[in-house]
Amino acid sequence: MKILTCPLNGPRNISEFTYGGEFKLMPDPARCSDVEWADYVFNSDNLAGVVTEWWLHNASSYWFLAERHTVSDQVLRTFDPNEIFDRRVEFTPAANPEIAG
Amino acid sequence: MTNLNTQAFLSNGPQTCALTDLTDLPRVGFRGSDSAGYLQAHGYHLPSLPNQALRQDDGGWVVRLSASEYLLLGSLSDQGARVAAQEAEWVQGAQRNYLLPRQDSHAWLQVSGQHCSAVMAKLCGVDLRAEAFPVGAVAQTSAARINVIVVNVASEGVPRLQILFDRPSLAYFREAMLDAMAEFDGRLVG
Repeated sequence: MKILTCPLNGPRNISEFTYGGEFKLMPDPARCSDVEWADYVFNSDNLAGVVTEWWLHNASSYWFLAERHTVSDQVLRTFDPNEIFDRRVEFTPAANPEIAG
Repeated sequence: MTNLNTQAFLSNGPQTCALTDLTDLPRVGFRGSDSAGYLQAHGYHLPSLPNQALRQDDGGWVVRLSASEYLLLGSLSDQGARVAAQEAEWVQGAQRNYLLPRQDSHAWLQVSGQHCSAVMAKLCGVDLRAEAFPVGAVAQTSAARINVIVVNVASEGVPRLQILFDRPSLAYFREAMLDAMAEFDGRLVG
């Protein structure tokens, strides 16, 4: 049985978790180019090595980050996202919103 | 129909292994960086750490589910009236204190008696024995393959675990509990 250590709930069966994709810093949606935004939304690095990933503990709906070696599948560290997201981000609507379609 | 007239068996001796359906008792959640201050201003005592619960003066419990999320479990002594009033009077203002309605989202069972952790060991991978899971401990985990919140609310020498989970799964989980309790002569008492 694989055990993953949740920063909030402690060591739990891997079946209690859901993978949430690679961790990537979001470009500023109001300023970045379409290419940068599409790269952020759709593309993955698929690196062979140590990566940072989002994981969800299903029972507590708690998202956290894990450093995992994708070759050995060894989880090196799990940590709360507030290590990176340490301030509130206010999203203000763009001055000239794009019209879809 | 859930029977809230449960006080009689709640004081039963520790030999029993009983399942109680508390789903009709009021409960509500609050989340946000200002929730702790809001609840303290309303006279609630809050657990100091996530995944801990604290018994209130009226017999209800406050469960801390994360750094800034709290779940209020109503007391049988007032049939949950205090918690229901707390939900009714909440208004979204400038404070970062957001209401999480839990009456329709979560079902609520209690398993009591000396065998309750042995029953849970058949359904759940987390060690819920009293040595490892003392009074006031909280586990958010999986039991009988569904997500659950387990709270140790033992008092007066009677082991008691309360379990909250997805409300549409109540019929399934109640049967799973009763099946696990059968070898201990456990039964549904209310």
